[in-house]
Amino acid sequence: MKMRQVLHIFKKDVRHLWFEIAVAMTVVAAFTFTGARRALWLVDPATNRIAAWTLVMILLPLAWWTLIARVIHDEVLPGDSQFWITRPYSWRSLVGAKALFILAFISLPMLLADGVIVRAYGFPLEGELSGLLWSQVLLAIVFVLPIAALSALTTGFVQLIFAILTPCVIALGVAIVAPELVLGGFLGGSDWVKTYYVFLLISVAASGILVWQYSMRRTAAARSLAVAAGILAVLGMTLIPWSAAFRIQSWLSKRRVDQSLVRVDFDSGSRWLTRAVIEGDDRVRVELPVNITGLPAGMIAKPEGFSVHLQAPDGAMWQADQLPLRIASKMGHKFSLEATVDGAFYRRVKDEPLKVRGSLYMTLLGNRRTVRVPFGDRFVHVPRVGVCSASGGANRQSYFLICSSAFRFPPVLVSYRFIESAKEAVQDVWSSTEPRRAISYSPFPAELGISPVSQDFTFSTVPLPLSEAMVDTVEPLAHIRRNLEIDNLRLGDFEVRPAPVSP
Amino acid sequence: MTDILRAIDLSKRFRKTVVLDHLNMSVPEHSVYGLVGPNGAGKTTTIKILMNARQPTEGLTEVFGHDSRKLSPEDFTQIGYVSENQQMPDWMTVEYFMNYLRPFYPGWDAARAENLLRQFELPPDRKIRNLSHGMRMKAALASSLAYRPRLIVLDEPFTGLDALVRDELIEGVLGCADGATILISSHDLSEVESFASHIGYLDRGRLQFSEEMTSLVDRFREIEITLANPSQSSISWPATWLNTEQSAAVVRFVDTQFDPERTIAEVHHLFGNTHQISVNPMPLRAIFVTLAKAGRRAA
Repeated sequence: MKMRQVLHIFKKDVRHLWFEIAVAMTVVAAFTFTGARRALWLVDPATNRIAAWTLVMILLPLAWWTLIARVIHDEVLPGDSQFWITRPYSWRSLVGAKALFILAFISLPMLLADGVIVRAYGFPLEGELSGLLWSQVLLAIVFVLPIAALSALTTGFVQLIFAILTPCVIALGVAIVAPELVLGGFLGGSDWVKTYYVFLLISVAASGILVWQYSMRRTAAARSLAVAAGILAVLGMTLIPWSAAFRIQSWLSKRRVDQSLVRVDFDSGSRWLTRAVIEGDDRVRVELPVNITGLPAGMIAKPEGFSVHLQAPDGAMWQADQLPLRIASKMGHKFSLEATVDGAFYRRVKDEPLKVRGSLYMTLLGNRRTVRVPFGDRFVHVPRVGVCSASGGANRQSYFLICSSAFRFPPVLVSYRFIESAKEAVQDVWSSTEPRRAISYSPFPAELGISPVSQDFTFSTVPLPLSEAMVDTVEPLAHIRRNLEIDNLRLGDFEVRPAPVSP
Repeated sequence: MTDILRAIDLSKRFRKTVVLDHLNMSVPEHSVYGLVGPNGAGKTTTIKILMNARQPTEGLTEVFGHDSRKLSPEDFTQIGYVSENQQMPDWMTVEYFMNYLRPFYPGWDAARAENLLRQFELPPDRKIRNLSHGMRMKAALASSLAYRPRLIVLDEPFTGLDALVRDELIEGVLGCADGATILISSHDLSEVESFASHIGYLDRGRLQFSEEMTSLVDRFREIEITLANPSQSSISWPATWLNTEQSAAVVRFVDTQFDPERTIAEVHHLFGNTHQISVNPMPLRAIFVTLAKAGRRAA
């Protein structure tokens, strides 16, 4: 790569696309301004201009995509009539110039904007550096690389829009008919494995297409690669089993906790909780009460997935993988887990003693921490979460708590409480094992998102004087699997037919 | 004389359409090679494959002895390519276009570039999108001659141009050639016959012939024979005779391999005594019309 040629092409692109650059910079400035002002939301609600923020969030990717498409289409790759292909361009220099342009007018401004916004929220920049950098990597993978690759496969805006819309329309059509084909199942806290598979695929395919196109300009082959990558992405989303995702999660689990005593057993004391509910679509919902014992002190278990085989004496077998995990009921460490069984299989074996062999995938959480957040205007740093601020309403009858996290929702279970000052009683807003939102166990310091700050908001309208809010967190310490064995289970003994609904 | 461009058993198909059919061609160094043929003959495809703008289906092309598919930026510093349908950076002014290209070429001659702009009367501050077709071709040519290329490739450069602009372009090319090899394609022979040293005739993807202009003109003759004993018996015509016509007493044909002794001997062998044999040299245009007609008949 000749640096002089890189800079020469870069200067030409800047000169040609100055208007598009100016528009993109204006949108980034608006993003920075509105994003930073949102930090003052609780103090000054007038600063939370949702419409402006929403508009900026829509305009920002559009500005990036326009800029990327325009700069790549300045030296169109498909075709045989472009002036530049018979000129002494080095393909490496051309790629270098385009990459420099994208770095200078997309990545660098976003890095600075994110830094300013995060700082405005009160996050120390040095502590968020990994998240700041990783979020730029994710933005590049999802917002820059695919559009750059598609631009390298097209000759202009019309073709590009067609290339973007065609797979979107196909995916939308399939998603309406069979959503599981496009989105696959939700893998709970390990869903990031699937997401990162897609990120990896995008990175490899888009980089491959760009290098292939710039070095050889074999558009037909590169378009085939793009289609193959799209199919692989959909297949991956659909076919990655949650048990594989959970295994990867377990393998990455850094903390070593003593889990040797942890057991999962059929809760024979609560045998009455076992049910075989006949459902309308020739399916039977089997509910099995289990008891988790042997947890180290201070730890809680969060079931993530349940895989079960039901085997009849004649060898007939039914396998059910349940994810997202459906928990029929929960009492402390007692769970009633659900598995769906085919109606025909059920009718055949319901009066026979079944052998049940299952595996329960769980996350062990511990290291509970509680941080007080007094009502007032100031931000309180809450480890593992970010910064929180609590506010008593003007009439002292409504109370707010808002927590902001930089670059990703915290990978911990969070619950919020408001404390009543007079009686020192605790009002539990949320229980500690039922998170307010889906937790991600991703080990990476940032999640994909244009906004660098994610916020969680709760409130109380109890007509009592409250003194402060509290934020409780427990962190995931281990992801484990335990086997479950039940013998001689006669499902017919627990059959439940839903009462007919009266007209 | 070494060959600066070569096509070796070159074929190109677009789906089921055969555009080039095992083409073999070579362009000697320092020659002005006119590649002519009717529209759709495969001239532009051949040139695009030579310039690595398209890929061959089979076979190989070479430029400066290198496989065209591996032409490097350094190779392109020695090639000036101008095409009738070339997409230019329309947003650039003529001056900016020249200044932009200058750092790409170590051999860029600023004085020559300025002269060319003057010679072609190109307005430096006008955007390329605002130039007429003729002006655009001049701008493309000026930007391709300013670095004294060793090879100049012109693909249908005169299409849609008036005679004056065409002459200006020819003058510009020949004036700046400095011994460079020139490959020029055209569907109109008259555009190139005045200055080409070599000529290749491409038809339906096959090179019908490729040779020096002088030998081409020498070997084609239009011959008319007045027979002494008119005969109606069928005759097996020699393969080198084209466009044969026979009436009771007169026979006309074009001999593509004219040799005074051999041709006269063949005539006497086929027709016996003749009253008269008239042998007429042919203009290049007539040679091409004959070849085109013969080609169609054979097809």
